[in-house]
Amino acid sequence: MRYVKLPKEGLTKLFEALEGFGEVHAPVKRGKTFVFARVSSLSEASLSYNRTMIPPKKYFVRPLEEILKVKVSKGYEPVVEEPKRIVLLGLHACDINALRVLDGVYLEEPEDPYYRSRRANAFVVGISCDPDEYCFCKSMGTDYVWTGFDLFLHDIGEAYLIRVGSARGEAVVESIKKVIGEPTNDDFVKLRDLELKRSKMFKKELNTSLLPDIADALYESEVWTKFSDKCLACGSCNLVCPTCRCYDVTEKVELNLEEGVRLRRWDSCFMRSHALVAGGLNFRPTRLDRFRHRYNCKSSIEPKTNMFFCVGCGRCSAFCPAGIDHVEVLNSLWGLAR
Amino acid sequence: MSANPYLPKLAKLIETVEMTAIEKLFKFQFVNEEDAKSFSYKPGQFVTVSVPGVGESPISICKSPTRPGPLELLIRRIGRVTNAIHKLKPGDVVGIRGPLGNGFPMEGMKGYDILLIAGGLGIAPLMSVLQYVIDKREDYGDVILLYGVRSYQEALFRDMAIDLIEHPEKTGIKAFLSFEREDSVFSKLMEEHPRSVRKGVVTVLFECADPYIKPDKVCAVVCGPPVMYRFVLRELVKRDVPPERIYLTLERRMKCGIGKCGHCVVGGATAIRYVCKDGPVFTYSDVLAVRGLV
Repeated sequence: MRYVKLPKEGLTKLFEALEGFGEVHAPVKRGKTFVFARVSSLSEASLSYNRTMIPPKKYFVRPLEEILKVKVSKGYEPVVEEPKRIVLLGLHACDINALRVLDGVYLEEPEDPYYRSRRANAFVVGISCDPDEYCFCKSMGTDYVWTGFDLFLHDIGEAYLIRVGSARGEAVVESIKKVIGEPTNDDFVKLRDLELKRSKMFKKELNTSLLPDIADALYESEVWTKFSDKCLACGSCNLVCPTCRCYDVTEKVELNLEEGVRLRRWDSCFMRSHALVAGGLNFRPTRLDRFRHRYNCKSSIEPKTNMFFCVGCGRCSAFCPAGIDHVEVLNSLWGLAR
Repeated sequence: MSANPYLPKLAKLIETVEMTAIEKLFKFQFVNEEDAKSFSYKPGQFVTVSVPGVGESPISICKSPTRPGPLELLIRRIGRVTNAIHKLKPGDVVGIRGPLGNGFPMEGMKGYDILLIAGGLGIAPLMSVLQYVIDKREDYGDVILLYGVRSYQEALFRDMAIDLIEHPEKTGIKAFLSFEREDSVFSKLMEEHPRSVRKGVVTVLFECADPYIKPDKVCAVVCGPPVMYRFVLRELVKRDVPPERIYLTLERRMKCGIGKCGHCVVGGATAIRYVCKDGPVFTYSDVLAVRGLV
């Protein structure tokens, strides 16, 4: 890994260099929470933040998007989109790992061409963070990200120690070489100590060894009923989840009854329609079925990355209107009192 | 970049055959010759049919790849898209994506007896296997068909079924038919062929077929309504047919057909499967490992 050191006053220079790549999007404070949004200056970005409500997946599979054009008398043609280069500045390790998990789904053959193009045109700049009361990425093994970014910024006090993760990242660093320097041994010691400190800050812990088996085999556990009784089946957890990838497909025709579009939109496995087939049979008819399904899906392992389908970002718990906590549900399944 | 997997290819409806009050056989031909040439599939695979402006539905292919000519799909009028398909007239154009899914391992089944068990509309995907083994008769052992229907009126391929029972010598297939509701045609057939036709659900046919089922050299291929699998599996397990030689093809809600949209996901955390991509054909071994498959 190549490391460089960027004094904090040099961050503006980095920002300008990133703007040279494409539109910069970064966490921005909105009300009580954060969103990823376009920023035109560094001061608009909140690089010290806990989590955004909607994860970065929105840039790659949009909440609602056209995938095909329809001509009722002629058939279908793909929606052609001009590739747009963007920079995602300030992603936490969990969110970068979540994109790797999504890659495992969307870039698996046959590739999703829309996802592929947007992913290739996105420059990812990670940033170090400290866990809050919802974070459990350490348990999921996603508190550290070793690939999937172009640059990763570690705050070591008066400077950022940067891990350079790609040739594109290298090029950006080269373009600002006047403000960067080589890190010293002391800088790495600082990085080490801060990481050790961070590691001790986690308040939530989930036992993940044998987790898939526990979630699968304890199918009859009353824990599922206890929590699904509280669940509103609103699907909020799906929308805020950085690895939830289900989408629904619909078709819409204009009033001229000739032109239309095929759309896809984020879907939720908590909706009754999710496993419903024509004729009325539902493969997951009850809320309990759907609740258990989500927890099993999240506790399963994505085969390309060998990572869990949960990165421990804490969003589902932080934004659950019923106050259901992901870790508490699974820890209850483990028989651990909180 | 590879082709857009979401883009349907145009196909023209060339003929429909009325099968029952709610089911028709549709014959489609690709508009573009290249698409027709490049379309090759395995028995048990499926396609999606798009009606422009309405939507898309997954449908199994009801014809063996050994038989040239149009793509044949047997479709029940049951939902929004299939209702629109039923309204199509010859000459109308639809979109086809596929073939999708894994299909039956016809190569791996070579040399074995083939026991086909179909319930109702389940005959549609199994027709591709039935035709295939008829066309490649020398590659397979005995072929046994257990076919359960509600009644004569509701039976698909009813003439074929009657012919198989009345003239087994034509194809060499040992066919058995069960029907649930009293009706004169099948009752008469039962009187004439008491060892081949029974009243009841498809599992009552096992008793008739038992002399022909040799567990050490049979592959079972099963398709029917979801409720049927458990009962059929019980009979097969009772007869010591090994789990890896019991094949089932399953139905789920599907949108993308290529393992992205997540609707057809089944299984507990240790074994998540996409029915569209990892299936729709699964073995009984899969059923034992993947929760909720049947």
